Amino acid sequence: MRKIISFILLIVIFVGIYFALAQIPYGKNKMNVSKHYISNGLKENGAANIVTSVVLNYRGFDTLGEITILFIGAVGLGMILFGFETKKKDIKPASLILKTGCKFLFPFILLLGIYIFIHGHLTPGGGFQGGAIIASGFLLNYLGCSKKRISEKGINIIESLGGAIFIVIGLLGLFLGDYFLLNFLPKGAVNTLISGGIIPLLYITIGLKVGAELSGIIYKLME
Amino acid sequence: MVNIIWQNPILLILVPLGLAFLTPIIGLISKNFVKYVPVLGMLFNLILSIILLPKVIINPIIISIAGWKPPFCINLFVGPVGIIFSILISLIGFLVAIYGINYIKKGPIERYNILYLLLLTGATGIVLTGDIFNLFVFFEILCISSYALVAYNQDKNGIEAATKYLIQGSIGSAFILLGIGFLYGLYGTLNMADIAQNISTVNSPTLFIAMALFIAGFGIEASIFPLNAWLPDAHSSAPSSISAILSGIAIHIGIYAMFRVLYTIFGINNVFTFLAIVGIITLLIGEMSAFKQTNIKRILAYSSIGQMGLIIFALSIGTISGISAGLFQIVTHTLSKSLLFLCVGYMIYHTNSMELSSLKGLGKRMPLTSFLFTIGTFSLIGLPPFIGFPSKLSIILAGLKAGGILFLILIILMLCATVIEGVYFFKIVQIIYFREPEKQDRIKPSFTFLLPAIILAILIIFIGLYPDLIHNILNKSAGEFLDKLSYIKTVLGG
Amino acid sequence: MNFLYQNIYYIGAFGLIFIGLYMAAAKKNLIKIIIGLGFIDTGINLFLIIIGYVQKGTAPIFSKPGLNPAQMVDPVPQALVLTAIVINVAILGLALGLAIRLYRHYKTLNVRKIRGLKW
Repeated sequence: MRKIISFILLIVIFVGIYFALAQIPYGKNKMNVSKHYISNGLKENGAANIVTSVVLNYRGFDTLGEITILFIGAVGLGMILFGFETKKKDIKPASLILKTGCKFLFPFILLLGIYIFIHGHLTPGGGFQGGAIIASGFLLNYLGCSKKRISEKGINIIESLGGAIFIVIGLLGLFLGDYFLLNFLPKGAVNTLISGGIIPLLYITIGLKVGAELSGIIYKLME
Repeated sequence: MVNIIWQNPILLILVPLGLAFLTPIIGLISKNFVKYVPVLGMLFNLILSIILLPKVIINPIIISIAGWKPPFCINLFVGPVGIIFSILISLIGFLVAIYGINYIKKGPIERYNILYLLLLTGATGIVLTGDIFNLFVFFEILCISSYALVAYNQDKNGIEAATKYLIQGSIGSAFILLGIGFLYGLYGTLNMADIAQNISTVNSPTLFIAMALFIAGFGIEASIFPLNAWLPDAHSSAPSSISAILSGIAIHIGIYAMFRVLYTIFGINNVFTFLAIVGIITLLIGEMSAFKQTNIKRILAYSSIGQMGLIIFALSIGTISGISAGLFQIVTHTLSKSLLFLCVGYMIYHTNSMELSSLKGLGKRMPLTSFLFTIGTFSLIGLPPFIGFPSKLSIILAGLKAGGILFLILIILMLCATVIEGVYFFKIVQIIYFREPEKQDRIKPSFTFLLPAIILAILIIFIGLYPDLIHNILNKSAGEFLDKLSYIKTVLGG
Repeated sequence: MNFLYQNIYYIGAFGLIFIGLYMAAAKKNLIKIIIGLGFIDTGINLFLIIIGYVQKGTAPIFSKPGLNPAQMVDPVPQALVLTAIVINVAILGLALGLAIRLYRHYKTLNVRKIRGLKW
């Protein structure tokens, strides 16, 4: 009964959305604000990747909210699973391929993640993508060689410092130039590593923070 | 342009956020200090909001982030409505944080305080922003913190209520994001003033779908009639300080977000009549369901649903007096419901049970607490010397002034609902005062509980006796909500 | 058929949302409901990216000097999707943590049976 009602309701919503979508043709150029971003983004920011300059400079406040949400996720999960006694089943030790593979691959995965978030303003990628890759490296480490682990206190400190440094950089913009998140460092030559003002700094902060948080979440869920 | 750094409204969002980020480090240094961090943060917010209030009434302040001009950047629109909400949020946040110093004793205290500060940051961000995706991000901060905080007690009821709340809340957020997607696909911009400027150039079906998605999405958080199944469970299973925050702040912010989108972006049209009817239906269902409950916190939760219906009805009348009456009712409900939840929390803490029958005779055992509880109930019903009376009176006057037979019927239904509300609240007061208690000892209340409750009670009585103090401010802010053209002109510069 | 070919992406995105809503509303197992929430999120992210597509556009990165700005895809929805993905990760993490606790309390994941709080 419940399934039939929900089905009918969804069909109605779907038909309504069809009529609404007729107004938004696929593939048409409907950018108003984005035209300004693409044409002026290079001059105003110095970062070659326009998506990065949108995420960190034009809409940097949303990024601040986003790292806050990730922080809430990690803290909330810690609160929900607080004092959770796990029954220690004996974990089968991983197979030989996994053990050697993980020892070998782990530093390379970390390097890939760090590369992606340092070059966030030049190539596709950025802090969040790089942080997710770092976290998957830690997951591999946990599954394969489950002896070494980073302490929980260290993860907490990196998380808090990451968020605080982001806000401090923004506040420096406020003090020096009267706007929060103002891009106050010099914009270097295009397409080199030192370019784009404060954008690389912000992305480095975000990358480390996201990597730490996602690893923390994975550890807690695994416990 | 604000010249003094310490009076920049963006600090209203940044200071609690920064404190929340630094709390784990503070917790490493000294575990006991963590309890006082929300108190300090909210005190700063309260003082800054009160300082900004006279400036903002003259002229709303626009703060652009990262130095570009709107609409190419995110901007904060600090208007009278925003500052009033910010004052309310920081006041209740400050008082409940004081209450929480001694109320929250076991469990991960540090994480509780972090999430508490972040919830209030999200709420402050919603009322101060002028960009619709930023609204969504801060709305998510609010919702996700509340999902985690409802489950703080980790008992059976808490986890189940948090799960139901999470599933329904995230479907609501999905709807809002769909609505934002539609609006962006039509207009190519995310700034509320820019969308409001362009809104007349496209015709109806897409806009109707977008509006319906926004009402459904924000309505889940604001608990309109078919979408409020999560509220009784969540508000009654959370720890009482969190119930006070949820009932006093979170659902009001849902209503604010819905009406900000409806008024500023979409403008006035027939959907408001529909919303007025839905509001009265919610009111009736909320009050009638509260009538047959025996769990004191569930009674208060259903009463919250009813009051939300009343506020939605007032805000959808569509005139300046209607909006000002709705805002006044929001102030009333925030102050009274928080006071009620704080008192009830304290009573439950001592009697260890949430049933009505366990409140027998508490009038003799905890006289001050029962007295404060009674002040809260009388002001919710709308009896004269308390704040509920001028607020309900202004709703009735606004409804009658709007004219029409429909509003007359709705006002009569609203009065019936008030009568039902009076009946069950009087029943509770009677149980507290006029039945014999089982034990005969007197319980002395502690300082951290008394201080917030007494401050709330004093505000209730004071504003109830001199309602004109706020009436002027509320009238001016109602003007801001309605006046779409001046909003666009202020943000985009003519 | 031409209609289908032109709008295939829209149908895909809304099909995912539709499946996700159905799963979240009508399934009994809590894990299936959470997977349904994941479907809704994926569908919405896909919808947002489709809104920003320009015919024959490429990624908005100036990797070589002299790329034509008029042939780039819209960067703003990509920023929106970044944020939306992160938000959904946090929600799913919380949901799974709650599901673990709920299983501990009730020993079952059947949503119809988890009804400790009635009217």
